[in-house]
Amino acid sequence: MARIELRGIRKSWVGATAVEQIDLAIDDGAFVAVLGPSGCGKTTTLLMLAGIYSPTDGDILFDGARVNDVESRDRNVGIVFQSYALYPNMTVLENILFPLRFKKVERGEGARRAKEIAELVRIGPLLDRRPSQLSGGQQQRVALARALVKRPNLLLLDEPLSNLDATLRLSMRTEIRRVQRELGVTTILVTHDQIEATTMADRIVVMNGGRIEQEGTAKDLYERPATLFVASFVGSPPINLLEGEASEGSMKVHQATLVLAGAAQGAMLLGLRPESVRAEGSGTPARIVAVEPMGREVLYSADSALGVVRFMEAGAEARHREGDNVTLAYRPSDALLFDKSSGRRLDVRLAS
Amino acid sequence: MRVDTLETPIAVPAWRGWQSLARRARLRRLGNQSALVAFLLIVSMPIILPYFWMVVISFTARSGGVSTDVLWTACAVVIPAVLIYSVVHLMIPVKTVRVLAAIVLAVIGATALASLVGDKLHWLNYRFLWRANIIEEIRTKATAGGQFPSVWIAFRNSLALAVSQTLIILAVASLAGYYISRFAFRGREAVLQGMLVLHAFPAMTLIIPLFLILHWVGLLDTILGVMLVLATIELPFYVFVMKGFFDAVPWDIEMSAMTDGATRRQAFRLVVLPQVRVGLIAVAVFAFIRAWEEYIFVRTMLIENKNWVMSLYLFWVSDDIMGVDYGIVAAVCVFYVLPSLLLYVFCQKYLTQMTIGGIRG
Repeated sequence: MARIELRGIRKSWVGATAVEQIDLAIDDGAFVAVLGPSGCGKTTTLLMLAGIYSPTDGDILFDGARVNDVESRDRNVGIVFQSYALYPNMTVLENILFPLRFKKVERGEGARRAKEIAELVRIGPLLDRRPSQLSGGQQQRVALARALVKRPNLLLLDEPLSNLDATLRLSMRTEIRRVQRELGVTTILVTHDQIEATTMADRIVVMNGGRIEQEGTAKDLYERPATLFVASFVGSPPINLLEGEASEGSMKVHQATLVLAGAAQGAMLLGLRPESVRAEGSGTPARIVAVEPMGREVLYSADSALGVVRFMEAGAEARHREGDNVTLAYRPSDALLFDKSSGRRLDVRLAS
Repeated sequence: MRVDTLETPIAVPAWRGWQSLARRARLRRLGNQSALVAFLLIVSMPIILPYFWMVVISFTARSGGVSTDVLWTACAVVIPAVLIYSVVHLMIPVKTVRVLAAIVLAVIGATALASLVGDKLHWLNYRFLWRANIIEEIRTKATAGGQFPSVWIAFRNSLALAVSQTLIILAVASLAGYYISRFAFRGREAVLQGMLVLHAFPAMTLIIPLFLILHWVGLLDTILGVMLVLATIELPFYVFVMKGFFDAVPWDIEMSAMTDGATRRQAFRLVVLPQVRVGLIAVAVFAFIRAWEEYIFVRTMLIENKNWVMSLYLFWVSDDIMGVDYGIVAAVCVFYVLPSLLLYVFCQKYLTQMTIGGIRG
């Protein structure tokens, strides 16, 4: 187990830069998710931690020691790939024992550890099979066992669940979390799925364009997104972003004028989560233009003085129909204000 | 009453209709299959018949002459047997019945052959296997001059050539293919294109320069010299094939092996190589057979009879102004073909996959 630190990490190839700048510290035993769209540099970062790539600039530290020049095989890092990358020519047991071949682990001791870890990830009865004879979920468990058997300093998970079907994904989520807690291994999960990140990790790092956008708990990201990118990437269905113009203490959005609690100037975006808008009480008059039942809730789009606003209501049954007139209400403190040019969130709120 | 009259006429024709449609589909499938089998039998005739004739001659010809009597008699037994088996195979999709039919037909065929042509079969043409100087025996000592080596010397030379070819090509093609598949280096594209272009040139055009080079280097008339020449000319193709196989091995597996503590070399040996096993087998078989059947280069570069390979032995057996003993020539042919044939039979399932691996790159 180790405390991991990345200082000013950059990775570029001829003609392309995958990672611009990463500064990140991960506590010993923490479970951190790196969340971002494809191509944001999250897998590159992971492979730099594993020692497959070496960073162009910056330092990688394990427990305060610089490991940039330490080879992958000496870093004692366990990694689970999206494809699981099991060795097809070996049985499950041989796969799990493979990392121990290169360490000074006694044969008996190795077998004991393999059995132990196999029990932990619940693949005890499968040890004699070949990877091709296993289901996706079982292969996933074998990959996890192989990554853990060497008692790694750091466990890296690269989109480990995206090849599984929905039910299996759900159970593997809790399973991986359980194993991680039991062993207390520092873990980094790379994913583009926000549900995976929020359910499994203690802390989430949102990446975009080779940079860290924000770092925090799921609650932080949801309630106080630092940038427009985080606001629109986290949360489903996505946040409403309404264009407006602020001057002095007020802000004009579409045809409405809102009063600000502080000073702001210039082009703004008003962010309103669909779940913090309700169609009850007094508020902005609006007309329903679209109704989308989503199962446990219904998503509506309503045309109002603010522009088209999407809002959500609990319950499977739709209470409004297309063309209905409603009034939209929200707590001013739920509204988020973003500077349009910089994309950063302002500390100014709407006046109540 | 009305309900009955309504229901019955509708239900019955529909049911009958399905049956006749099914029968028609079965018949059509049978027809297609028989047509296919017939087509394949006819197309393969020009290949199978000469080989069959070769085998027949090697066991029947006496005093050098060739006659087709035995061939036609044998065909009259073998062809009906094959046809009957084809029909059984098409009509009865039960494995035990098929095997039984094959055994019965084989027994009948063998008995018929034995009674019809049994007295004409003999081993005499194969005496070159144990008589060293066979030509001297057929012709006079004056013509042959005691120059003919034992077939086993040629066999040993051929084997040495083919095995060393296989080993050289396996070693170089797997390493080079891996390197080209995995590493980015200056001129990678040029190497790839160059290999294809090289393979497109007729190697024959190189024969005179190569002869001279071997002469100057002092490797003319040695197996080693031919070995090097053949390997050089054949390698680009096999490197290309192996590159295709390595391209199909996912990166993840290697990265995984290296984080698991393996060096790049260990990852290659323990994880990557086992996955291109099929490619290695295919390349090995092709390399072996290519060297085994090689004629042009050995004809040019091997001179002394102690350096003859099988193709040269065959050539010299059949080359004589006094007339050819076709019985012995056919027997040598059978002996020469046998190793390649066995290799093909045992490895054919790997050989058909070579194209798959090659394309995937």
